[in-house]
Amino acid sequence: MFYQLTLLAVTTVPTEEAGLADTVNGISEKFKIYPELFFPQLISFLIVAILLKKFAFGPIQEMLEQRKQRIADGEAKLIEIEKQLADSAKHTAEVVEKANADAKRMIEEAKASASNIVEQKTQEAISSAQQIISKAEAAAQAERAQIAAELKREFGRLVADTAQNATAGKLTADQQRAINDDALRQVQA
Amino acid sequence: MRKLITSLAVFFACVSPALAAGAAHDHLPVHAEEIFRFGPVVISNSMLMIWIVAAVVILVAQLATRKIALVPSGLQNFVEWIVESLYNFLEGILGAHLVKRTFWFFGTIFVLILFTNWFGLIPGVGTVGWFKEGGYGGDSHDTFHPFLRGGNADLNMTLAMAISFALIWFYWAISENGIVGFVKHIFAPKGQFSGPMAIMMLVVFAFVGILELVSILFRPVALSFRLFGNIFAGETTLETMTAITGNWYTNWLPPIPFYFMEMLVGLIQALVFMLLTSVFLKLICEHHEEEGHEHH
Repeated sequence: MFYQLTLLAVTTVPTEEAGLADTVNGISEKFKIYPELFFPQLISFLIVAILLKKFAFGPIQEMLEQRKQRIADGEAKLIEIEKQLADSAKHTAEVVEKANADAKRMIEEAKASASNIVEQKTQEAISSAQQIISKAEAAAQAERAQIAAELKREFGRLVADTAQNATAGKLTADQQRAINDDALRQVQA
Repeated sequence: MRKLITSLAVFFACVSPALAAGAAHDHLPVHAEEIFRFGPVVISNSMLMIWIVAAVVILVAQLATRKIALVPSGLQNFVEWIVESLYNFLEGILGAHLVKRTFWFFGTIFVLILFTNWFGLIPGVGTVGWFKEGGYGGDSHDTFHPFLRGGNADLNMTLAMAISFALIWFYWAISENGIVGFVKHIFAPKGQFSGPMAIMMLVVFAFVGILELVSILFRPVALSFRLFGNIFAGETTLETMTAITGNWYTNWLPPIPFYFMEMLVGLIQALVFMLLTSVFLKLICEHHEEEGHEHH
């Protein structure tokens, strides 16, 4: 302060120099601003400030910085996790969508395949049934033909027997045969 | 029980200086007094007070940071709250860059002034001492020398803080602006001018720069006298109030309201000193800070 006030005294009008210097000296005397009191106080304050920086504010500030850093890291990780979660959800949705599409496609394919099989089996069944019917019809027809032939033969024999009995040997073999054939033709017709 | 202890503490806080004041010196000297000396170095009672306060602050900080927990509690939580609040407050004034660099100084200023002011109110400070003659601060009519004195009731102390700030302010201003930037910040015209107006503005701002220089040079004086004046006035008020009744069984009563007021004054003065010093630094670094932000 002494030097500040001296500077003020130097920068002012020379006629006031002595008066200001006296004022400065008076203040210094009054408040005991002496170098042997001031400089130890100045050094003491600087030492205290350095000690507080090293042992008080330093550790606390470091602790707060660490916490801030940890919070910032946590927030960064949270953002990363949220991003990963969003990616995962998107990926899951894509997979589910793809699975749905695949399932749908497979169902469609299965349906189409089942329809084909049903059609094929139906056709096979129809074909098989037709074959059975054809065979049955052929068998029935053969049996009917056989029965008809047997009937004809029996009827012919009955006609021949009847005609022979009626004519009682008056007809020749050729006439007999002609009558039999005629009777057979009529039976067959 | 807590109320009873508080009441007793207030009672003894008032009675102790009152008793001592009555028995010791008839007035509070305007300066600190010598306790002992190492050769030419004088250790005053205010310096001793500063050391005690610093030791307590360091002890509390060390205790708070001894077992650091992720989720703070107790003392750690309290200390963190104080420091973090102070840091955020200063960050609002100085900006993120400057506060990181200068917090230790402004934190020290605030905490040291605040607790020195409040420690000065503890019973025994200024009232416990011894009688002797001579030494610095020994008035001819007052032979009582207290061991402790309110640290900021000594102009040497407040001036030491103000001068320290002035020196460190100059260093920070130069390192942030550069020498040319520092000179330009004080003397260069602010705004865009051309022609004769530019020449006129050069002259005007040169004059303004000189005024600014004088203002800068006188800042330590204003800072130191403001703090010293407020704290010394408070101590004088307390001593006067204590002596006003003139008898020992009632003299504890008048200073009670003033103790509460002095606690408030202690806080306000710590805040004012820290705010002014931080604003002075911000003013000289403001241009640079803005440019820095633009660059970012």
